[in-house]
Amino acid sequence: MNNDRSPAGQAGVLAEVRRALGHTQTVRPEPLEPFVEEPAESRVEELIARFTAELRAVGGQAHRVISEGEAAALVARICAEAGGGGVGLSGSPLIAELGLAAALATGGLAPFPVADFAPSERGRLIMRLECCGAGVTAADYAIAETGTLVLTGDEEGALLASLLPAVHVALLRPRQIARTLTEVVAGLRRERMGRAAPACRSATFITGPSRTSDVELVLSIGVHGPKQLHVVILGE
Amino acid sequence: MSHSEPDLTSRSHAALGDPVLQRALGNATATFIERRRESVATVPDWQALRERARRVKEHTVNHLDYYLEQLVGRVEELGGIVHWASTGEDVSRYVVGLARARGVRVVVKSKSMTTEEIELNHALEAEGIRPVETDLGEYIIQLARERPSHIIVPAIHKTREQIADLFAEKLHVGRAQEVAEITAVARARLRQEFLSAGMGITGANFAVAETGTIVLVENEGNIRLSTQVPPVHVAVVGIEKVIPSFEDLSVFLRLLPRSGTGQKQTAYVSFLNGPRRAAEAAGGGAEGATPETEFHLVLLDNGRTRILADEQMRESLYCIRCGACLNVCPVYQKIGGQAYGWIYPGPIGAVISPQLQGLKEAGELPFASSLCGACREACPVAINLPDLLLALRAKVKEGGGEEPGARNTAERASMRAYAAMAKRPKLFAAVGRLMRGLGRLAEKGGRIRRVPFPPLSLWTKYRDLPAPPRGGSFRERWKKGEGKE
Repeated sequence: MNNDRSPAGQAGVLAEVRRALGHTQTVRPEPLEPFVEEPAESRVEELIARFTAELRAVGGQAHRVISEGEAAALVARICAEAGGGGVGLSGSPLIAELGLAAALATGGLAPFPVADFAPSERGRLIMRLECCGAGVTAADYAIAETGTLVLTGDEEGALLASLLPAVHVALLRPRQIARTLTEVVAGLRRERMGRAAPACRSATFITGPSRTSDVELVLSIGVHGPKQLHVVILGE
Repeated sequence: MSHSEPDLTSRSHAALGDPVLQRALGNATATFIERRRESVATVPDWQALRERARRVKEHTVNHLDYYLEQLVGRVEELGGIVHWASTGEDVSRYVVGLARARGVRVVVKSKSMTTEEIELNHALEAEGIRPVETDLGEYIIQLARERPSHIIVPAIHKTREQIADLFAEKLHVGRAQEVAEITAVARARLRQEFLSAGMGITGANFAVAETGTIVLVENEGNIRLSTQVPPVHVAVVGIEKVIPSFEDLSVFLRLLPRSGTGQKQTAYVSFLNGPRRAAEAAGGGAEGATPETEFHLVLLDNGRTRILADEQMRESLYCIRCGACLNVCPVYQKIGGQAYGWIYPGPIGAVISPQLQGLKEAGELPFASSLCGACREACPVAINLPDLLLALRAKVKEGGGEEPGARNTAERASMRAYAAMAKRPKLFAAVGRLMRGLGRLAEKGGRIRRVPFPPLSLWTKYRDLPAPPRGGSFRERWKKGEGKE
């Protein structure tokens, strides 16, 4: 693809843009003034309640557990009900802390860390996840007012684990729940995707299970992505 | 992209005569209007969001050269490859060349109006590369070899029975009974396509200049699969999709789902910064980056700079393709997307299509509007659609073109008669009294079902006329002092 920057390409379209705007050269504009909105303050319990209600409204389920033992048992139960045996685990520290691999194996399931697959083995990882009943990940942010989880692609395998199996289980800490999209977008820019923090290739916002209304406007769940979404909210 | 005999009027008549389509359109537009109303009500200050979005778009479009350069620089820094395309053929040539170079035989596609605009699928098929549409509605349309009837739900004109028959015929599967079965068949089929595809092609809802982030909004998960499973991702993006800053996303991502499907948030939104960096994930250096992780951004002009050059029409580039103006449009509600004859339907389509296609090709579209202004009210970026439609009508007439029905002698004669009457107040009042009298004779239960002579017969062929109001005309009542305090 040596012609990417050919005159007919870049120079052509950009020159047309400048001509259309009457610009003789490109000048850096004054940016717009910031868009200031009422800051939203909420207590953690309110945020959890709102998140839970909004998630339920879009067909997902939130579970509240206090101890790590409870969390591991709950995840094991959900994965067992998912069937299929295999469970893809993201490399999140939280999943290691909970000892999820051991808990799932005790329950007769076959958990495996997606991080075991090198990037060059991506094809194999995809086929493996395709045969799994469930994938377990840990969320980076959540948005209470829409029931949305945000996973970031610090580890690409985790995004696949949240997408390919029929059941997605996500772990979430209460302090990760913000009230609004605005707060999360600001956080993502500051911490992961902005110019100062270009560490992260992608972020995925997940609001309930995969859905479509393409046939007669009838809601159908799980058309391409997971059919079930469980969010385990862990801790105080 | 050429459409298509017959003309708009004939296509509209065909749509009006299709009971399945009429029911589907009525259902879809009413449902989306109601869902939109409910979800908009959950935003404390919707108007402030709209105004902000409009200002951001205005600012960006007026400095498009700067923001495009910034976007391109950033995407390249992230390891993406940028290709500029003046025309649809440029895109096709690039994508076909890339597919050949990578040995790609199957391409998975997500719903993208931009690639439909340039008929990328035809170009791929002509070169022996099989494009697979993966959005359920688009998949159905592709199997049926038809055109979308709605931006958001492209196959809404088909019943579940028709789709079940289509799947049975084309996919050689048992005939599905329920919508869930149809979905399950598509899921299983398309999973195989995702796993074997060598390339995923998407559009983009937004491209953030300061970070190089491509943003994709969806419900099904097919975009996530298209961008994460195949080794090569190509995003074909109109140059007007750029927005300046990451934080602008918090405005647009609240407007778009509510305006489109009436959701507070769609099931998935993906933010993508350049290619998958395999080397970094493995903790290695750049030498570990494998060629399987490619991201190509194709920036398309295809007539957009022509729109940009016209200061009045420039705001048609603010559109975020939500479809809200379609649902509220009384013309769209009756004729649906296919009758417009081109990929962009509804009020925004009637503005964009003639500009991208040329007035000769699509100059009849701006006349397919009552100019009621519902589209402007619904538009999340407050595009002044009625004014743009009027301006385009003027351009058509200036260019020597004529409106649909211009040769309809009955319509012309009656418009001339009306003009003559309207200039003579006494005659106007007298004819008004006469018509009201006749109207009351023809009335049944408040409606007039049939008028035997044109032009009113053209109206009553499809709809009832409301009966004339009792108690005289407005002017008569005003004279009598009614309504004055």
